Amino acid sequence: MERIVTVEQEAGLHARPASAFVEAAGEFESEITVGRANGDGAVDAGSMLAVTGLGIERGDAVRLTAEGPDADDALDQLVALLERPEP
Amino acid sequence: MSKTLSGVGATPLAGVGTVRWYEPTIPEFDRESDDPEAERQRFVDARDWARAAIDEERERVAERVGEEEAAILEAHRQFLDDPQIESAVDAEIEGGATAEAAVEAAFADPIEQYEATGGRVAERADDLRDVRDRLLRTLAGVEDVDLDALPDETILLAERLVPSDAAGLDPDRVAGLATVVGGRTAHAAIVARAIGLPAVVGVGDPLREIENGTTVVVDGEAGVVIVDPDEETRTAARTEREIDVIDEQVATADGRSIEVAANVGRPGELEGAIDSGADGVGLFRTEFLFIDRTSPPDEDEQFETYSEALQAFPGERIVVRTADVGGDKPIDYLDLPAEANPFLGDRGIRRSLGVDADLLETQLRALLRAAGTAREEGDATGDLAVMFPMVADVAELDAALERVDAVAAALEDAGEPCAIPELGVMVETPAAARMAPELADRVAFLSIGTNDLTQYVMAADRDNDRVTTLHDPLHPPVLRTIADAIDGGHERDAWVGMCGEMAGDPALTELLIGLGLDELSASAVTIPQVKARIQETDTEAAEAVAERALAAETRSAVLDVLDGDD
Repeated sequence: MERIVTVEQEAGLHARPASAFVEAAGEFESEITVGRANGDGAVDAGSMLAVTGLGIERGDAVRLTAEGPDADDALDQLVALLERPEP
Repeated sequence: MSKTLSGVGATPLAGVGTVRWYEPTIPEFDRESDDPEAERQRFVDARDWARAAIDEERERVAERVGEEEAAILEAHRQFLDDPQIESAVDAEIEGGATAEAAVEAAFADPIEQYEATGGRVAERADDLRDVRDRLLRTLAGVEDVDLDALPDETILLAERLVPSDAAGLDPDRVAGLATVVGGRTAHAAIVARAIGLPAVVGVGDPLREIENGTTVVVDGEAGVVIVDPDEETRTAARTEREIDVIDEQVATADGRSIEVAANVGRPGELEGAIDSGADGVGLFRTEFLFIDRTSPPDEDEQFETYSEALQAFPGERIVVRTADVGGDKPIDYLDLPAEANPFLGDRGIRRSLGVDADLLETQLRALLRAAGTAREEGDATGDLAVMFPMVADVAELDAALERVDAVAAALEDAGEPCAIPELGVMVETPAAARMAPELADRVAFLSIGTNDLTQYVMAADRDNDRVTTLHDPLHPPVLRTIADAIDGGHERDAWVGMCGEMAGDPALTELLIGLGLDELSASAVTIPQVKARIQETDTEAAEAVAERALAAETRSAVLDVLDGDD
């Protein structure tokens, strides 16, 4: 399953917000990917290296996918995190 | 011939010294190995070490600088443990590489990729290098460069400096810092500012040409590095670093007088306060009179102590705070029951009006007698002021003022020389800040105690390491509470001072003046700098800074305002 979400965090997906996102993604059993909504560069959401490399800024739309037993839950939480304006 | 290189000034300070390049060198290493299992183990061990070191530095940076900067090290830890790095390292080792060669190769692609992406992603390439080099140093068994072992008057030059490095610098030894690369070194700049280190970042390639042993001036105010400076430039940089003690009271550039007094915890500190040029004492804590003994001090002993403090500052004001005793510090002869929340418990004026009423009476008798004697001596001695701690209820202040009147009446009846000193309230509860006008109606002054006020406004224990980020007076709710207390006091013609740590931070002086404070009381060591800052400040500009800070929504937005980049 997948969701499209617009990143509201002021710092985009860098540094602190990226840290929090990667940390959160690591809590789930599901395989989670993140990439630009308009592109196909989906990467492992548990990799700080890959997530930072996406260069996602505030206002960018991203596509989250999750596959696994807690996929729904994972997407809910990660979407909420990205939509929160403050890290 | 001297030469001037420009960069970005990170701290408004200048320093002069001898250049030392900061190069955490990584020794040459073998690239091939025929024992992949051993190499993998070396990598795993090195990663464990590096992780522990990062965690330790994270703590240190959080403590010395702030959570925001510490978060960078959190990102480092995630890069270190990144699954992509791990699999790339594994593949390299499988192909016959040593752990070192594998680490180097695993980071090479992402670093290149980040730099090609540009923007903020490119700035993160420095973090990757930092993590890679940390791993390589650990694998080589190289100790990180000992920044504490640098000779005095060192000017440290570096390609770039990571926050963990900067946090290890001792400003007494290192006279300044300059870096080739700017960009993300902003973090190092913040650290340099926090520890009062002259710094210029982003000087670029010309910096690389400066050799070890060269004398340079780092002028963070002008944003320049001066190579082989002439004598005059050197002297100027030195004097700027050693800020002169200003004995007289200072005023802003536009002429508004601000009193800068000292916080004193025991009589032994009075001398340091005088030497630092303090305009009197803005917070004379009296707990030292009560702790570490088996019975409370009697009236005469206290009278002597207060009189001595007054004699130390002829013509100046000494603000004595009545005993602020509570369940957090045991005192043998007092009944101080263990409380679940001593900071929300029976302490300060609450005890003084309740179980410790006798202690308050004795203390007030000693204070009123000292005030009477001081008044007779005029300018030969100081002026006494007395304030009450932990006031949360106007009725508490009324009760305390009644006690003062009763003690004065009793002393007069007995024919003792006495006087009622200037009276005030310490504003350290949100309750007192809310009631500032009503409190100010009854007394001559308010003094804002930011340490406790911050912990009460933010609901964050000042001694709990886990909530240190919240315990910062630069959070807008704290600033707004402070502003309300100042305005409330002024509305009813009371003067308003501040006696928390915040008052002693020269980086905040402009903001505090802009908020309208009449007096700042700080640890003696910071007084010369605070006074110098006041003289540079223009009230109107300060008010504009305060206005923007009060409009900010987060602590980091307030920091941006203070940095001038909002």
